[in-house]
Amino acid sequence: MARAGWIEPMTQTDLTTRVRGERIEIAGLTKHFGAFKAVDNLTFSVEPGRITGFLGPNGAGKTTTLRMLLGLVRPTSGTASIGGHQYADLPNPLGTVGSALEATGFHPGRSGRNHLRVMAAAAGIPDSRVDEMLELTGIPAAANQRAGGYSMGMRQRLGLAAALLGDPDVLILDEPANGLDPEGIRWLRGFLRHLAGEGRTILVSSHMLSEVEQTIDDLVIIANGTLVRQGPIAELTGGQGSYVRTSDNDRLIGALRIADVTCHIDAEGHLVAETSDMRLIGDVALRAGLPIWELKEKRSDLEDLYFSLTEGTNRNLGESHAEPGWAPAERDAVIGQEGANE
Amino acid sequence: MILHAVTSELRKYFTTRMWWGMAAGIVAAAALFTGFLAFVFIRLAPEAGGPGMPATEVDPVQLANSVYTAGLSVAYVLMLTIGVLQIGAEYRHKTITATFLTTPKRLQALGAKVIALIGIAIINGLLSIITAVVVGAVMMQALGADPFPSNEVFRTMALSLLVLAVWALIGLGVGILIPNQVAALIIAVGVAWIVEPLVSLGLSFWEWGAQHIVQFLPTQATSAAINTVDSLNAGAAKLSWWGGTLTLLAYAVVLAGLGIWRAAREDVS
Repeated sequence: MARAGWIEPMTQTDLTTRVRGERIEIAGLTKHFGAFKAVDNLTFSVEPGRITGFLGPNGAGKTTTLRMLLGLVRPTSGTASIGGHQYADLPNPLGTVGSALEATGFHPGRSGRNHLRVMAAAAGIPDSRVDEMLELTGIPAAANQRAGGYSMGMRQRLGLAAALLGDPDVLILDEPANGLDPEGIRWLRGFLRHLAGEGRTILVSSHMLSEVEQTIDDLVIIANGTLVRQGPIAELTGGQGSYVRTSDNDRLIGALRIADVTCHIDAEGHLVAETSDMRLIGDVALRAGLPIWELKEKRSDLEDLYFSLTEGTNRNLGESHAEPGWAPAERDAVIGQEGANE
Repeated sequence: MILHAVTSELRKYFTTRMWWGMAAGIVAAAALFTGFLAFVFIRLAPEAGGPGMPATEVDPVQLANSVYTAGLSVAYVLMLTIGVLQIGAEYRHKTITATFLTTPKRLQALGAKVIALIGIAIINGLLSIITAVVVGAVMMQALGADPFPSNEVFRTMALSLLVLAVWALIGLGVGILIPNQVAALIIAVGVAWIVEPLVSLGLSFWEWGAQHIVQFLPTQATSAAINTVDSLNAGAAKLSWWGGTLTLLAYAVVLAGLGIWRAAREDVS
């Protein structure tokens, strides 16, 4: 990494807080199933050392995108790469990318531990690592039983243990919070935060904004197989705000400015104070002698946006690659058919 | 590394309960059928000149071959089943995702399945042969027949290992080409045990068919490869041992080849 002499001193720190993640690059990715566009010219990237949420309503094309990234589904066009490589060309796949795609892939007659041993053998990983991962995910004893009797939470933890088996630089988790109890979700959050702190790239898909909002740094939203929005979550949610209705907007704006609160008038003519501290707004108004006729929290644009996306598409709940029904008349037949296959 | 992938496939096979059920079935079939056949051929055949049956002299080599491979008709169907399940269970329980994620070069992953199946066939085949020799040699000795009349007996034993491996690979092909595991099993076993005997029986009434088609059916090719006494289609043409072996291999190459070609391309979802 030492490109010039003067970088030398920094290399030392570089080694201790080694950036070990790889960049995920999705470029023009498209997948058609017959006449039906599951993923349509999708482009985004995922940065190392950060947790990226991959969000979209059910059927938006998330799983298909992840499967193309992992070489399981062949793109119609476009590319998906990890650190500049296609998944199939990675010299050490499990050591580079760990993934947990849906919690269903276990043979019911094989124990969880043996499931991991099967994977470990293929990757040349010692069995001792299998037991370490079972400890880490908190299922060392249960993993000796046959997987047929596992709860959803057990399967999620086993899937996570499988993803971590190769100590990967990139972690791809498809709906990892499904089936976890609240304690499990809190544990998962802390765990992902810790892994990202080590510099790993973490991509977490979800169909619920509220589920990932507090965990993630970056957000990629897709719907209909196309990109809706991408960016750091802080930027996307924007500042928190409150709607205020009073007798004299200008005087309240002036009074709030003194209290370090900026205000603006939105497109519909409502006064928006850029703080969620309603008590402060009320106190300022009282001191200025202004009546408060209405005071309410302004929901972030992101939440509104995401809500409108899910609203329009809940007709195909549980569907993994059908396109949401924004053109219902045309698509109903397709969605019905695809749904029946699942 | 393909060796890693082969180890992984062998672990898959030996970490569910199926393997010892299959091994027990193969050993039991070898013991029962060998004992039964030795008794029938040696004790009853010489007197069978009586009602209906021509008094043919049984060739001692064919007799020994038949006795030692008596359990094979069960064993190769079990190997066919193992072949179907090796891939069918992966489709059914969606473990194929984990398989292709750990070994993303699919030809390598599928090649490992082929090698592992050959290994499993050899293990099960040896169990079958050891059982058959222990039971068969003792009985033949006791009943006054020569247990090892010729070296050809050992060739038959080696070929029976090959036959088992080939049937397992036929199963692998069928398991990929019919992705529904249950349907694949029913069709594969149904064809081997029910459809094919009926077809060869039907063809035996049509002279050209009996002379030119029947011998190339997989079960007929199997018995030609191991050169056993034929009782059912005494009048029909029969391939030489190497002709039978090559015919069987052709089935395996075509079915497993088509299957692997398809699985290497297919989307996994």
